[in-house]
Amino acid sequence: MIELINVAKTFGGQSPALNDVSFSVPTGSVCALLGHNGAGKTTTVKILSTLLKPTSGRAIVAGYDVAKEAVQVRRSIGVTGQEAALDLRMTGRENLVLFGRLRGLRRKDAVRRADELIEQFDMGHAADRQVSGYSGGMRRRIDIAVSLTIVPKVLFLDEPTTGLDPRSRRDVWNLVSSMKAQGITVLLTTQYLEEADILSDSIVILNAGQIVASGTADELKRQTGSSYCEMTPLNADDLPRIATALADFEEVEVDTDATTVAVPAPQGVATLTEVFRRMDQLGVELIDISLRRPSLDEVFLHLTNTNSVATK
Amino acid sequence: MTPFLLLTARTLRRSRADLAFAVLTPIFGVVGLTLLLRGVIATGQMIYAQYVLPAIVVQAMLFGAFTTTDRAAWEKISGLSSRMRTLPISPYLPLGARMAYCVVRGVLALVAAILAAYFLGFRLDGGFGYSVAFISLSLTLTMALSLGADATGSKIGRTEVASQLLLIPQLLLVVLSTGLAPVDAFPSWLHSFVRYQPISQITETLRGFTVGQVEAGNLGASVAWCAGLLLVFGTLAVRLQGRTS
Repeated sequence: MIELINVAKTFGGQSPALNDVSFSVPTGSVCALLGHNGAGKTTTVKILSTLLKPTSGRAIVAGYDVAKEAVQVRRSIGVTGQEAALDLRMTGRENLVLFGRLRGLRRKDAVRRADELIEQFDMGHAADRQVSGYSGGMRRRIDIAVSLTIVPKVLFLDEPTTGLDPRSRRDVWNLVSSMKAQGITVLLTTQYLEEADILSDSIVILNAGQIVASGTADELKRQTGSSYCEMTPLNADDLPRIATALADFEEVEVDTDATTVAVPAPQGVATLTEVFRRMDQLGVELIDISLRRPSLDEVFLHLTNTNSVATK
Repeated sequence: MTPFLLLTARTLRRSRADLAFAVLTPIFGVVGLTLLLRGVIATGQMIYAQYVLPAIVVQAMLFGAFTTTDRAAWEKISGLSSRMRTLPISPYLPLGARMAYCVVRGVLALVAAILAAYFLGFRLDGGFGYSVAFISLSLTLTMALSLGADATGSKIGRTEVASQLLLIPQLLLVVLSTGLAPVDAFPSWLHSFVRYQPISQITETLRGFTVGQVEAGNLGASVAWCAGLLLVFGTLAVRLQGRTS
């Protein structure tokens, strides 16, 4: 598992890159660190993977203190950074064998492990070509595979899908899910809310070096504003009638372009049922009615905006 | 195999072209310069192949060292050096492997230069002790400069500029030294520079080792230069590797 306790990091005389960051990731779960460029995601990963020492606070990875027991931490982790850190002049297989052996595997075992990973990552066709000729998606895959030459207790993936095409992105998502199935604790950073939403058990949102929110995707969505009930009539002419029928709601939003009417739904499904009943009485034919909760994008924008306003 | 040997073997394997270059350049240097200049430059009793070999060796040691810049810079920008630091191996190992490569490259260049010159009449006449001294001083020089080049590459992290930047001053230093021609061949206002600049001091010392006769002041200056550079560049290079701010 991963635990950060009041971690701060300051470079030189600049304002802190990380400020009082605390969170934990239980063993075998996936945590997504979400934030803009410069929010402190990479700094956090570097501290946890022993590349940087925290200025203050403590960070524990797989039971070891990253500052005091760096060697033990290094034995327990796999790290895939933003750039594919591979020897481009060697083949994919050679990279896997090299890193396996650097992690202490004997030649025979390293070769066997490379075979396994090539199979698992579906790279048989490219394994014996130089990495310099790989596509971005292939490089990323072999890069992640290199971090798994010895099954790590904790895996760090720093923006694993940045710059990848949708198909390669989906491949990486599948890989992350399979890590989780193997019981590996994963911390990934991302700028994509969709990714955080799909992959992770918990989300930590960083902004300007501070945690602005954390929890599951659902919890975060619940934190910002209430849900909406949104309906689309078959006939656009029905919009004013619908609006009148729902006039007692706190707020009625009519969008003539999208042909929708939206009202707040603090009671969730109960509100939806009530709206549906009224439409039925009114005899309006609907082509769609749904309970819409705020997307993670809206949550993120809401949280990071409030924060930047607050700090001004 | 230990991680150190693994990394050294990797560097050797991926640098085969550079190793071929390391062997061929001094051969062309010795043969070309000897054929071109042996009747032109007066070197007294000494045949030109005997005279010029130390300069070829020094040039090869300098050039070998500069190739380190690119390797170090590349490891930094490719993210490999960061990844190595997340492995359970010493943070100094990649540097150690790059230095081991430089020594291997230096040995190959030395052997190639000496063999080529041998056919043109060059002899190591000083006996075993002086021959060992010849090899040791050459390799210490390449080691010291490689550490400097490594520090430069690791710090700058740009491949294209770093090594070319160093080529011009080193070429000037070699040409304006007593490596290719005795001091009398230069205009008199350049004499003191040509005589006392480090490349001249070191080539003179190496030349002395080949015939088994070295001037104490000259030897002292060469050893001081090599040891001093080794210490300064070594400290810089090692510090850069160990840094986790």
